[in-house]
Amino acid sequence: MRQSETFVSIILLVSVLFAQIPRAVAEPLDAAGTVALLRAIDERQRSSGDFKSLVYMEQKERDKADVVYEAVIYRRDADDKWMILFLKPKAEQGKGYLRIEKNLWLYDPTVGKWERRTEREKLGGTGSRRADLDESRLADEYDPTYEGEEQLGAFKVHKILLDAKPGVDVAYPQTRIWVDQATGNILKTQEHALSGRLMRTSYFPKWQKVFSESKPGEIWYPQELRFYDEVDRANSTLILIKQVDLRPLDANLFTKAWLESKSR
Amino acid sequence: MGFTELGIAARNLLAHTKRTVFLGSAIAAVTGLLILLLGLTAGIEQTMLRSGTVLMTGHVNVGGFIKTSSGQAAPLITDYPAILRALEGHVPELHHLVVRGRGFAKGVAETGGAMDLILGGLEIGRETGFRQVVRPVAGSLDDLAAPRTILLFEEQLPRLQVGVGDTLTLSAPTAQGVNNTVDVRVVAIAKSVGLMSTWNAFVSEQTLLELYRLKPGSSGAIQLYLHDQRDAVPVAARLREVLARAGYRVMEADPQPYYMKLFQRVTQEDWTGFKLDVSTWQDELIFMSWILSALNALTTLLLTILGVIVVIGIMNTLWIAIRERTREIGTLRAIGMQRRGVLRMFLLEAGLLGGGGTLAGAGLGLLVAGGINRLQLAVPESVQVVLMNDTLVLAVQPAAVLGAVVAVSSVTVLAAVYPAIRAARLQPVSAMHHFG
Repeated sequence: MRQSETFVSIILLVSVLFAQIPRAVAEPLDAAGTVALLRAIDERQRSSGDFKSLVYMEQKERDKADVVYEAVIYRRDADDKWMILFLKPKAEQGKGYLRIEKNLWLYDPTVGKWERRTEREKLGGTGSRRADLDESRLADEYDPTYEGEEQLGAFKVHKILLDAKPGVDVAYPQTRIWVDQATGNILKTQEHALSGRLMRTSYFPKWQKVFSESKPGEIWYPQELRFYDEVDRANSTLILIKQVDLRPLDANLFTKAWLESKSR
Repeated sequence: MGFTELGIAARNLLAHTKRTVFLGSAIAAVTGLLILLLGLTAGIEQTMLRSGTVLMTGHVNVGGFIKTSSGQAAPLITDYPAILRALEGHVPELHHLVVRGRGFAKGVAETGGAMDLILGGLEIGRETGFRQVVRPVAGSLDDLAAPRTILLFEEQLPRLQVGVGDTLTLSAPTAQGVNNTVDVRVVAIAKSVGLMSTWNAFVSEQTLLELYRLKPGSSGAIQLYLHDQRDAVPVAARLREVLARAGYRVMEADPQPYYMKLFQRVTQEDWTGFKLDVSTWQDELIFMSWILSALNALTTLLLTILGVIVVIGIMNTLWIAIRERTREIGTLRAIGMQRRGVLRMFLLEAGLLGGGGTLAGAGLGLLVAGGINRLQLAVPESVQVVLMNDTLVLAVQPAAVLGAVVAVSSVTVLAAVYPAIRAARLQPVSAMHHFG
């Protein structure tokens, strides 16, 4: 009885929190409001349980034929575990990245070896990184500065400049985000190098939600991610996230042995 | 007696002019070819080493790696003046040294061209050998002294689509893994130098510091040039001890270039912090030793084939000569020449032929090699990659000429041993009755 009461209370609390977002963000924000918005964005995407999704990645690169990858992403946010296993094309089949305790490992089945890689490495030669496909940690990683309201196509958005907090492990020290005032979804980001040069523009035109019993509540995720290289403008990446599954994953899934077994 | 045999041998050679000229020419051709082949191998080796030790490595290098986390490594040394002080007085073999930055970046031009580049950071004013290897075809090497400048090689132009005065954006992660960019101006374009100009480009040291957000005093490696490059291995071993005694963490000797250590070893190891790595030119240019080994194997194969042809040719010709001169041998034996005398006579004949032929061949080889070097014959681009030069260079060394002359002469004499023994064994009576 007590358990069900607690469950209902949490549901109500979460519902109230999300009901507040559109009203809270549909006007210029002060510093505290901006931080609260970042926390809300992170919270909306947070999955307290496991997360599995099928993704399609299309990579366009200068002087190279377009490549379409099919992969499965596994997440266990509570333990900061993350893994991607490539299924297609054939040349990439069985290749995978595994994040264990802030170390990113790459397994290449063609040589049967594990290599330690940096967290900021571009995944499988695409324009995306691990952080693009992992849970959102904006409030933990950045100090925000509210830059005002803007019209982004048909959407009225908040424009926020994010500066990486000292010592935080991010690929770009400065990021600008455009957040839809109506939904609280990030629609666009622009990432800058230390020199200030614009490095990458990303668009997230489609968002989806799924209900998580373990959270409990809705988990939002961008269904379509478009990354444009602003230095080498011939390069771009399109990612489509399909078939999100929140059922618990095997306990021993996030291990090198499991990933190796999948490549055999 | 020896002079008599020598005289008879010489007269025999003169008496059979056609055969002597034919065989002598063959020996001369083989000697000349051998000298040219050895000159070509030595030329390639010399050119590769000269280009490699100027562009990529010193004879001994004191480099290092910084790891801010287990998986993040950069080829850097910090506070190199302190390292230089630690080395002071420990390298009497030192001729001069330079400090070079090391880096990797993606170069993207405004025109849309792009490619990955291996960057060398240098202070052009302090570089002595650089100008002898890197020959600008446009712009000026002196302009590399200015910050935010870059030198590219001709073969990179089709991919980058830039010229002197154009701007190129260099994009790379810093040692902390954060992305950064620097816009650089192309100030010089140099003639390609084979494999090493495929990916290498040079920027001012200041540019690298800016790209990687490093403090002054940081760089890639201290490159030491010795009076004799053969001292590199013992000097490197000594420096490892000296630097360890000075309190630095020093990596064990590993015969690999620094970029292979960076990607294959250092990033896989668990340590963090700073370690020094002392390497030799042999380590850094290991890919050259692969090319040279292949080249040497090919040369050896060719020489073996040539040797076999020479031996068979000489044996066959001498065999015919003995058949033709059986009655003559019988007469010589009848008037008192001993078997040893006959043996010596034929060996002297082969020796004279070999000596004369090889000397003529050596002269010919030297002339041809000199002519090729003077003509500066251009080689196709595919060959330039291996040669590390756009023209054919033959480095004919006196020792190689002497070796070729001695080797071919010896083979000629050895090839004559069996036919000479057979000649010496002939019975005078049966030899005199021979009608050949």
